[in-house]
Amino acid sequence: MPSFFSNKRLIVLLVCIIILVALIGYSMSERRSLSWPEQFLTDSIGWVQSGFSRPAHFAAGFFESVNDMRNIYEENQVLKSHLDEYAALQVELTELRRVNEELKDSLDMSENLYDYTVRSALVIHRSPDRWNEYIGINKGGQDGIEENMAVMTSSGLIGKVHQVSQFSSTIQLLSDQDHTNRISAFADNGEPTYGFIEGIHEESGYLQFTKIDIDAELEEGQMVVTSGLGGIFPRGLPIGEIVYFEPDEFGLSQTAFIEPAADFRQLDSVLVIERGASSLEPDIDPEAEGGE
Amino acid sequence: MMRKYSLFLVLFVLFIIEGTVFQIFAPDQFGSDLLFIPRWSFMLIIFAGIFRGRGTGTLYGVIFGIMFDVIYSALLGIYTFAMGLLAYLLSISIPFFQRNLPAAVFLTITAVILLEYFLYGMMLLLGMTAIPHQEFLYSRFLPSLAMNFFVLAAAAYPLRKWFEYIKRNEDDGLL
Repeated sequence: MPSFFSNKRLIVLLVCIIILVALIGYSMSERRSLSWPEQFLTDSIGWVQSGFSRPAHFAAGFFESVNDMRNIYEENQVLKSHLDEYAALQVELTELRRVNEELKDSLDMSENLYDYTVRSALVIHRSPDRWNEYIGINKGGQDGIEENMAVMTSSGLIGKVHQVSQFSSTIQLLSDQDHTNRISAFADNGEPTYGFIEGIHEESGYLQFTKIDIDAELEEGQMVVTSGLGGIFPRGLPIGEIVYFEPDEFGLSQTAFIEPAADFRQLDSVLVIERGASSLEPDIDPEAEGGE
Repeated sequence: MMRKYSLFLVLFVLFIIEGTVFQIFAPDQFGSDLLFIPRWSFMLIIFAGIFRGRGTGTLYGVIFGIMFDVIYSALLGIYTFAMGLLAYLLSISIPFFQRNLPAAVFLTITAVILLEYFLYGMMLLLGMTAIPHQEFLYSRFLPSLAMNFFVLAAAAYPLRKWFEYIKRNEDDGLL
């Protein structure tokens, strides 16, 4: 290969490096929403990806159910014993709800931090190189998804909406290492202890719950839930349980390590939470299907 | 018509499978500490570069680099640059590599190694990761490399047959 790096090629290479740096700078800028070519590409490929993901989830689910069948008997026994408890709880819940409504009415409180709307979405891709913890879902701006909404599975919070396209969007999981990935949360032991969930601790694999007041009394096994103080998340979505805690390196605050309630692996469908009126999307509302 | 775009179609399907089907059945989804990162479409691009010429390799490298950047990556430009440049540099379409299949496999694996290290370097530089080199090497680089090598070694012979078939048809003026 004579003149492998001739003058012309060298110039092209330099121009490419300049474009690379410019693009990285552009995409690292804060609060950037997707430009229309990106939206077009993500949406059209997202459509193909749903076609591939759906049968794959189905197959994975099938193997899982075969596995589950072995424990059905024991599970059934346990569930039966819970059933009586459930009836009593149900009565108590309706009673409490009614009292709560009355009290709220008397105080003229129209909405609170706990109310939210739920939309369900299918996970269509996960970034294969794992340098980031992003997953894609098949609902976007047209379905009412907005940036920074909370995303959870039935067992707990998993992350927030990162970028929204028209018919698909990207979710940043709690385990992502980006330093802007931060969620306001609190541990509840009678009085709330506030702090931030900041990514995953490399060595232990637990979520880090940082910037807790040094005087706060933490206990192992305490539930940590979202605080709703960030303005976009509702209050009270479960995140996980405290496994252990320690003072931080300067001794000014405490850091707790949290076992996440939700499993970040094996995600197939997720729930996107919008704070506001408490209602369910019609197609997953059990009451809308069942009764009337 | 179909044959002319068959390479693009196969690449596209591989690209989609890497992010969807493979991720659902990936070993780390079942609790394995080792990460297996598929680079199938990238390997096929280098292979196509060796057998079909530098232009083809670079073009597909850039196209799929852009798709990877927009869809899976948080930062634009990294994959476009890396895949484009590596496809350009390593698409050495001389008869030595075309006749000697192990050499072609070796060249392609070299490209994968360079890509992985380029990405690790960029992520360290931009502060997107803080994992030490030791961990990168043992839990991420070596398992992925082994997996990619076995896939490529199994696919190399059929791939060469396929490229020869396309070439023969082109020479006959069938396309």
